[in-house]
Amino acid sequence: MSKDSKMRATINQKLTEMGERERLKELLRAKLTECGWRDQLKAHCKDVIKEKGLEHVTVEDLVVEITPKGRVLVPDSVKKELLQRIRAFLAQHAT
Amino acid sequence: MKMEDMSLSGLDNTKLEALAQDIYSDLVEDACLGLCFEVHRAVKQGYFFLDDTDQESMKDFEIVDQPGVDIFGQVYNQWKNKECVCPNCNRSIAASRFAPHLEKCLGMGRNSSRIANRRIASSNNMNNKSESDQEDNDDVNDNDWSYGSEKKAKKRKSDKVFLHSLKQHIPLNPNSPRRSKSVKHKNGELSNSVNADPYKYNYNTGINYETLGPDELRSLLTTQCGVISEHTKKMCTRSQRCPQHTDEQRRAVRVFLLGPSASSLPDADTMVESDCYDASDGQVLMSRLQWDGSSDISPSDSASSKASTNNSDSKKPKKKKKTSLGLNSTGGGGGGSGSGGGSSSQTSLVGLSNRKKKPKLPVPPAPSIYDNLN
Repeated sequence: MSKDSKMRATINQKLTEMGERERLKELLRAKLTECGWRDQLKAHCKDVIKEKGLEHVTVEDLVVEITPKGRVLVPDSVKKELLQRIRAFLAQHAT
Repeated sequence: MKMEDMSLSGLDNTKLEALAQDIYSDLVEDACLGLCFEVHRAVKQGYFFLDDTDQESMKDFEIVDQPGVDIFGQVYNQWKNKECVCPNCNRSIAASRFAPHLEKCLGMGRNSSRIANRRIASSNNMNNKSESDQEDNDDVNDNDWSYGSEKKAKKRKSDKVFLHSLKQHIPLNPNSPRRSKSVKHKNGELSNSVNADPYKYNYNTGINYETLGPDELRSLLTTQCGVISEHTKKMCTRSQRCPQHTDEQRRAVRVFLLGPSASSLPDADTMVESDCYDASDGQVLMSRLQWDGSSDISPSDSASSKASTNNSDSKKPKKKKKTSLGLNSTGGGGGGSGSGGGSSSQTSLVGLSNRKKKPKLPVPPAPSIYDNLN
């Protein structure tokens, strides 16, 4: 397992060093905005805030409410594309 | 490095896949967190709800979904069937036709003046019975002028205002004075009707020489070019120096209209010869004659030296200055040969004087001058 973790660490490091991580992040953000994921989630935020009260909302509240929903709401096409890119990167640099 | 390579190559696909999934979920979580921070900051700063409308306005501007109405609640052709009363002519006009009608009614749009001008041009056309399809003809540019249109010229100004205010009620009577926006001409001045058709010069009015008496003709011919165009049979109203007609043409017209004895051309060209003759300075004239011996002597010139009184009738192909100089040279040659030559020079000078002089002057004081010389 430590090998795995070492290996993971290595790969993550490579990902960051080569700038691929940033690129993937930007790609994801753009795609999610395009498909309306952001707006959906924002609307959900509004509900949460109205529920909790404007003054007393904390970051934690939001994170707890939003993140699971966010994960679910990502469209399949976006997910597939991203995974494809990651696999390509791994194939190129892991072996 | 070798160790890493070995460890990396030892991975199998499932692990790689798991790894990929992990990386993906990391990325998604990053995105979510980013959004949360943004929202939280907006809430705390107070601008989170700014882009929303309040409930009341939401109800006011809700999308309308009824039949016969658009989403704003407006009826489509609500004003189509309504009628308005025109303040100018007091007729009731359909609403969608109201604006163009008003434009024509008041005479203020672009089109309305164009149409009016065209109507006038065509009515003038009918009045003057001219041939009207000569756009690419030279004579189109003659400012031909109709005697009849001069009468209408006086009414022009009052007609303009009157015409515009009553435009739609004018029956199609081409002879009505109200419709005659005129074509008053000075030499070269364009009339209003020309502006309507920029590509057609104002050819439809011109002087019809048949209608003019001899006095009028003569006065016209002294000031204007007067060359009669073949196509329209009208006289050119440009100045004596109009570039479209040559002096020969002008002379021919004068001969034709006024008779052979009365042809006169008060041209600036011939100042050199005619003026010095009028001054009756024989010596000066003689010296001039002898000076120019190099110009061509046209055959008609020698003929004219024999026929002293009538050489003005002959149509000379050359331009005037040259022929006159040619005459001078024959005169000069004659003068140089002595008294016999002197007499021939007399006759040639007589011919010269006849051609250039005004008709009222008596024919030759020449013999008296040359008596002195001889």
